[in-house]
Amino acid sequence: MREKFYIKIIRLILLSIFLIFSVFPLVWIFLTSIKPADEVYTFPVRYFPREPTLEAYRYLFSFANFGVYFKNSVMVSMTASIVSTYFALLSGYVLARKKFKFKKLLILALFFAQMIPSYLIMIPQYSMFSKLGLIDKLTGITIVYMGIGASFSTIMARGFFLRIPRSLEEAAMIDGCSEVSALFRITVPLMLPGISAVFSFSFVNTWNELFTAVLFLNSDRKMTVPVALYSFISKAGIKWNVLSAGLVVALLPTMLVFAFAQRFIIQGLTQGSVKEV
Amino acid sequence: MIPTLGLVGILSFYPTLKGIILSFQNYTVFTFNRIEFIGFDNYIEVFEDPVFPEIVKNTIFWILFSVLFQFLLGFSLALLMWKPFRGRGIYSGLVFYPWALSGFAIGLVWSWLLNGQFGVVNDLLMKLHIIRNNINFLSDPKKALFSVILVNVWYGIPFFAIMILAALQSIPRSLLESADIDGASGITKLFKIVIPYIKPTIVNTILLRIIWVMNFPDIIYGMTRGGPADSTNILSVYMINIAYYESNFSKSSAVGVIILSILFIYTTFYLKITSKGEFEI
Repeated sequence: MREKFYIKIIRLILLSIFLIFSVFPLVWIFLTSIKPADEVYTFPVRYFPREPTLEAYRYLFSFANFGVYFKNSVMVSMTASIVSTYFALLSGYVLARKKFKFKKLLILALFFAQMIPSYLIMIPQYSMFSKLGLIDKLTGITIVYMGIGASFSTIMARGFFLRIPRSLEEAAMIDGCSEVSALFRITVPLMLPGISAVFSFSFVNTWNELFTAVLFLNSDRKMTVPVALYSFISKAGIKWNVLSAGLVVALLPTMLVFAFAQRFIIQGLTQGSVKEV
Repeated sequence: MIPTLGLVGILSFYPTLKGIILSFQNYTVFTFNRIEFIGFDNYIEVFEDPVFPEIVKNTIFWILFSVLFQFLLGFSLALLMWKPFRGRGIYSGLVFYPWALSGFAIGLVWSWLLNGQFGVVNDLLMKLHIIRNNINFLSDPKKALFSVILVNVWYGIPFFAIMILAALQSIPRSLLESADIDGASGITKLFKIVIPYIKPTIVNTILLRIIWVMNFPDIIYGMTRGGPADSTNILSVYMINIAYYESNFSKSSAVGVIILSILFIYTTFYLKITSKGEFEI
């Protein structure tokens, strides 16, 4: 019994250390975001604001136009993730269920697509899109984002389909369902965890994407949240309380998606991309 | 299938091809109206850059230590979280959230936390009497690389922990119970049952992670942009810097092709040794 008690205590201590280590930056950002401007750079460091204020948030949404950027980001990320999730489902299904020539090669190609450094393809993409007149357009960046996670999402979706017994669909087809309606009536509902995982994964990735967006979007009203945060630092030094407020706001959607789909993401990452024995 | 193929084809493979072509040309801001093929000149220029050996060394350090500690700490965290406890759901939300952050923002925030003069980390360490003098985490070239690796470890622990935790939970209970009956100690169980059972997950996670870390300049870009004195410069940061500061897009593409080739060779090699039925794509 005694040994068990010791183990419990040690476990508790270690778990707390991990918690403090991971949460500490978040706490600091939050505390900074509710500090008035003159308390941000106090020396010695002051941890808790003497007069907490929402000044930074007010500045963010009025003067810094953050509302517009937020809306842009939501639109771009949502559209791109929904479309790429849809495509990933269809292709994942085909790759899991059908037998055809070059299938192995295709899967391998999707796998290798993940190794391409995004910076290598950014400039060719830029010239492609400028020929189409899609630079500095939210449509353009949305299309680029659809491609970003496409390969990984497809591989993930395929993994999910592999786990669902084929016999279920066959039974439905015997009962008179067409293949497509079997897919949408039987398999897709079973796939819900997989769908949320693929969706959240591409949402998080597109929401945070910075470098392509910086290159593609240059007018003020077209910026996404990461680009806006990036521009805060170049414009005459960093206003840390405002930047912190921006970071807190930028975190909300991904935290929300994460909290909602965490279980599924975990399943998705492990079952989708990795085979267990 | 066609839409995905189209997307990946048009948005990844075609630009990659263009990028490779670009790397053999002389496309800079100054020459955009007379682009010519110049053979391997860009590559030669990269290889002859006096800082290139250091960049390669930094890249190896960056990958090796980042992935090693991400794995070790992620594995420990997963083991600690294995047995259910009250509040595990909330706990995992709080511990895993770094995964959902943007790399650049992480870099920015940490560069502030680690600041040598008014950084919070220094202040805390002083207050806890762990150090006497401020540490110049980022401005000292000898320490900067380890500071950025520390941050990357912070960012990467959740990923490993998530993957390994899920694998741990798939271990059949009966297997562990029978080991208990046989009187196996905790450590024996860990090495004889747990690790062999989840080995495929470990192997695949490390493989994926190395590829991602190699292509992940965001944190360093947010913290140091490769400085001071190139002490945190890695290949992917070097590539961006060439494109942004020298505006030499062909040379930066050449670096990109080098990165891609290294990853290609690495992956092929890796798959060869580990693909005894374990790897599934």
